[in-house]
Amino acid sequence: MRFQVIVAAVFWSGFVESRKVRGISSSYKRFYKERKSFLCIDGSKIIPFEQVNDDYCDCEDGSDEPGTSACPRGRFYCTNLGFRPHYIPSSRVNDGICDCCDASDEYNSPAHCQNTCWNLGQKERAYVEGQMRTLDEGLRLKQQLIEEGVLLWREKQAQLRELQQVAEDLQIKLEEHRRRKHEAERLKEQTLKALEAGDSGLRHQNRTETSIFQLLDSNKDGSITVDEVKTKVVLVHDEERLLSEDEALGLLGGGHQIDLTKFRRTLWDVLTRGDSVKIKDTPGSDDPHLEAADKAAEWEATNLKKVEEAYETVNMEISDLRKKLAIDYGTDWEFLFLNSQCYKLKVYEYIYTLCPFNQVTQKNTAGTEVSLGSLSISPHIHQPLEHISKVLPGQLSFPSEEVLPSAR
Amino acid sequence: MPLLPRMVPVLVLWLAVCLAETWAVDRGNFKTCDQSAFCKRQRALKPGESPYRALLETMELTNTRLTLQLINDNNKVRLLLELYRLQGNITRVKINELKPLKPRYEVPDVLIREPPTEPLSLLSQDENGVVLSLGSESQRVIISARPFRLDIMEGSDVLMSLNSRGLLTFEHLRMRKDTQADPEAEKKEEADPANQAETTKEEEEKVEDGMWEETFKSHSDSKPNGPSAISLDFSLPGVEHVYGIPEHADTLRLKTTENGDPYRLYNLDVFQYELYNPMALYGAVPVMLAHNTQRTTGIFWLNAAETWVDISSNTAGKTVFGKMLDYVQGSSETPQTDVRWISESGIIDVFLMLGPTPKDVFSQYASLTGTQSFPPLASLGYHQCRWNYNDQEDVQSVDAGFDEHDIPYDFIWLDIEHTDGKRYFTWDPHKFATPKEMLQGLMDKKRKLVAIVDPHIKVDSNYKIHNEIRSKGFYIKNKDGGDYEGWCWPGSASYPDFFRADMRAWWASMFAYDQYEGSMENMYTWNDMNEPSVFNGPEVTMHKDTVHGAWEHRDVHNLYGFYVQMATAEGLIQRSGGIERPFVLTRAFFAGSQRYGAVWTGDNAAEWDHLKISIPMCLSLGLVGISFCGADVGGFFKSPSTELLVRWYQTGAYQPFFRAHAHLDTPRREPWLFGPENTALIREAVRQRYTLLPYWYQQFYHAHRTGEPIMRPLWVEYPQDPATFAVDDEFLIGRDLLVHPVTEEGARGVTAYLPGKDTVWFDIHTFQKHNGAQNLYIPVTMSSIPVFQRGGSIIPRKVRVRRSSTCMEHDPYTLYVALNLQRTAEGELYIDDGHTFNYEKKEFIHRRLSFAKNILSSVNLAPDAQFTTRSWIERVVILGASKPSKVTLQTADGQDSQLEFDFDASMSVLTLRKPGMNAGADWTVMLQ
Repeated sequence: MRFQVIVAAVFWSGFVESRKVRGISSSYKRFYKERKSFLCIDGSKIIPFEQVNDDYCDCEDGSDEPGTSACPRGRFYCTNLGFRPHYIPSSRVNDGICDCCDASDEYNSPAHCQNTCWNLGQKERAYVEGQMRTLDEGLRLKQQLIEEGVLLWREKQAQLRELQQVAEDLQIKLEEHRRRKHEAERLKEQTLKALEAGDSGLRHQNRTETSIFQLLDSNKDGSITVDEVKTKVVLVHDEERLLSEDEALGLLGGGHQIDLTKFRRTLWDVLTRGDSVKIKDTPGSDDPHLEAADKAAEWEATNLKKVEEAYETVNMEISDLRKKLAIDYGTDWEFLFLNSQCYKLKVYEYIYTLCPFNQVTQKNTAGTEVSLGSLSISPHIHQPLEHISKVLPGQLSFPSEEVLPSAR
Repeated sequence: MPLLPRMVPVLVLWLAVCLAETWAVDRGNFKTCDQSAFCKRQRALKPGESPYRALLETMELTNTRLTLQLINDNNKVRLLLELYRLQGNITRVKINELKPLKPRYEVPDVLIREPPTEPLSLLSQDENGVVLSLGSESQRVIISARPFRLDIMEGSDVLMSLNSRGLLTFEHLRMRKDTQADPEAEKKEEADPANQAETTKEEEEKVEDGMWEETFKSHSDSKPNGPSAISLDFSLPGVEHVYGIPEHADTLRLKTTENGDPYRLYNLDVFQYELYNPMALYGAVPVMLAHNTQRTTGIFWLNAAETWVDISSNTAGKTVFGKMLDYVQGSSETPQTDVRWISESGIIDVFLMLGPTPKDVFSQYASLTGTQSFPPLASLGYHQCRWNYNDQEDVQSVDAGFDEHDIPYDFIWLDIEHTDGKRYFTWDPHKFATPKEMLQGLMDKKRKLVAIVDPHIKVDSNYKIHNEIRSKGFYIKNKDGGDYEGWCWPGSASYPDFFRADMRAWWASMFAYDQYEGSMENMYTWNDMNEPSVFNGPEVTMHKDTVHGAWEHRDVHNLYGFYVQMATAEGLIQRSGGIERPFVLTRAFFAGSQRYGAVWTGDNAAEWDHLKISIPMCLSLGLVGISFCGADVGGFFKSPSTELLVRWYQTGAYQPFFRAHAHLDTPRREPWLFGPENTALIREAVRQRYTLLPYWYQQFYHAHRTGEPIMRPLWVEYPQDPATFAVDDEFLIGRDLLVHPVTEEGARGVTAYLPGKDTVWFDIHTFQKHNGAQNLYIPVTMSSIPVFQRGGSIIPRKVRVRRSSTCMEHDPYTLYVALNLQRTAEGELYIDDGHTFNYEKKEFIHRRLSFAKNILSSVNLAPDAQFTTRSWIERVVILGASKPSKVTLQTADGQDSQLEFDFDASMSVLTLRKPGMNAGADWTVMLQ
């Protein structure tokens, strides 16, 4: 069985070789089996087999003249052994121009065509190898960029998470600070109310004669003078009016100054009665509680503001990062690295600066810079990869002029 | 009722004016006759009795010429009339001042030689006049003395009369006599009473404006020589149809000019020219043909100055009905056309070409100014042009585009942008850094290139061409003697004085391969802007008072472009050592320009009307010798619709010069840019052109030999059929192909007039036979190009269309034999190397192919010529045949062989399969 196949194959190839119908591919050889007649491939006509490739067009479809220029719609098959086979229009057979690298189209022409298929094949193979190398290199680089991209992506994601954590923490802090500020404010309010309530005498219960004396004794010399009384003591019903000299003298029992002992008998009595005069109401400045409460409220407000600012900053960073992360950097983030790069191209008198995912500008020699808009790269066009493998950031060249048509 | 027919033309005119306004030339930039002082002056003179009288006593008759003085009885200025009988039935009439103050310009270099004369003989003479015999025929010239007039008679018929309407004028040269005039001279005149009449007359003349100075818009024309116009009228009895005097964008049949401006001949660069009017365009050929069923004559007015031509007719105003009425009532006067020529300066030098047939007139005119140059075969192929192909890569990719889409072409063109800053003879160093590489690339594909070289030279001291012209003093001078400078593409530019033979020789030498860097033998030249175009000059051209040696530009203007092309063609011939034929395209032209190459109809537009007008424009040029004519396919300005572009390719493929061109601002329009369907339509049109190249080439050879037009009006072949006289939407190529291109948008059919009562015509695509002398309605689709082969003709074609015409050189021929009613046919086959002058050394094959009595044979028409070809006859297609039983081929060696054949009974087409004989051999094919 196997033997028979081999014999058949040998016979077949020998048969084909003996016929040599010029200008056809092996897949068409079945139409050109040596017989008495030839049927045009479109079936339109039967002609004697001698009229195949006899340099006269008999078939409407040109199939009888695959190897000559006789038919207007014919085509000639260049076998191009060692290179790529292809078809040429019949009109290019024997036209004095070498079209097939195996020179088969100029078999009867003054053009001395050389068989260049092997060389072309070599070149093509070398080219393809080069392409492959470039592709490999590109793929390697791509892999690298993907790895870097993934890392970078993760890093950014981690950064995002961190920031989000910080934001959350800040959120909690913010609430705490808001609460504390609120509390401090409430305390301050309370103190203030308490102070106001002290006017009805209550507050003096908490105060000793000595403390009041000391309060009134502004210069701390152990005695209260008329002036000191005038600055600190007011009428209950007319707080705005300053006491007159005489009124002050009256409160001091007629003397220009009194000591603590005398005080107990004179002014203290009047003050504790509380119906004519009182100590001037200067909360905060003179009330340590109030002062403390005030300071505390202020402190809490400042703290809150700081935390609010921090929170805002973090949120902005988050939104920035989110925006960057929302850009399509390719399926595997292989274009992520381009994000921070810019490239320059000089075309005649113009220098173009291209920053992927960002601005494109044109600058002329005079230094005038014009923005050409922003450039978004659709990374799902994967052609730039090859260029990326050749052009690394920092080099003063452009991936390709096609990326940016010169604006002339 | 009677109002309506009158209203219609008015309405149409009004509509036309309105439409024209929307997109058209700025008419204000160009003079009307009223704005041209001499035209206004001359046109103001109305027909009447001529003041000129022939002084018969001064007559001198030698063997070759007659001279006679004429006197103007008004001013006593005398003129000298010279009359010559030229060989080939031409009469030359020359009139100059007897004693001009200084010489008046006589056009040199246009006539190919001093025309050989024939003896004149005096038949009779009395005090009223003289009768001369014009050669052997019964033709006579009658010179009447008082008033002077000339009549040319044949038998009892007047063929042509000169000064019959008394419009001969000759503004004699005179001293300026205005306020600055020499007071002594005036005194002298006062003292001399005999001169009184003359003085009075001259003083009258002095009053007229524009004699010594003229302004147009902001331009003033100093006229140091004063008035110098000439004028003469011609009456053509029996003539209703006149043609010629290109270049005008008008109908083939010239119109009467009584209600408007005369036809103007003044070479101008008219931006966006308007159609159907008598305005001047880029070129001028002062030749008019007159035709009726009896006779064709021609008037060649050899004058290079601004010229206006008035045409009037006694039948022009009449309707068909009116004419019929005349006929019925028998009151019809003989129809007559009157023509009047007016030129600004120079002399009257007019050649009366007396026919009698159209072909006689062509041959008469050719004997004066020469015939169409025989171009390289490749230049009859398709030309791909655009302003501009940007750089070498662009050229390469367009070239590759043609291969990719399998469309043949021969020439790619480079417009002005290929130069280094519009410095001609140079290349843009960035875009065309290695022109020879580019040219070699084209040469490898057997294709060629044309680069533009315009005559305006950039004023730039770093530009070699400028420096040389300047240092040699070759520039045209302004009136003050300095180099004239105008504004053109390069900015400030000067214009070489091509009227100087030494300048032309130098210019020609610049085309040498070692002078024109980057040039190669497959690079040819295009001369544009050679009217000359001066952007800031009056009417966009040169000031008339610039100086060419002894002459003013006024005297020579219309010749500038002629000389530019002449010098350029000479350069291309010289660079090859005189071996290769040149190819030079020009925009401006004059009588005789046919000797130097091709012309095109200038900057047309992508509009249907511009497609239509390409036919009469090229027909008019063909009638006056310039056969190698074409219009920009697609239209130069604006962008054509796809339909228009396709139709234009189909039309252009059947016109002599076949080039697509486009303005810089228009989108690209290479043939493959409009979808596969349209690419296929354009491909098919171009391929039809290429299959017919053998026929085209033979037509050019014939035109070169005879001066007959290639693209010709129907009336040339059917001169007795009045139905053909005004046809200009179809045309003939040679005698045998009739083309009625589709030039209407959205056309579903065309009506073609097939001439010839006993003639049959075969549709070249379907082989269907049609009778002549009928209007045939032909339904059309987008692929239709209605073309017919005349029964009785044999047309050789090469049906293997390749990348370029050169690639087809050795291809076999198919003979299309179209039988007439007598079952005969005749044709020719011309073959040479296609590009050298060796045909002049008898290196060609010229055969007569004839079919009669069922025998087709090829006989040698030039037995003394020697040429061998590898081409053979691959097929013979006989249209209108009957089925033979046997076909036998007999070759020169006496061998007989049977030929296979195929007969299509439905169309009566017999196809002989592969007879195989060499195209240069003697052979006979017998049908039995």
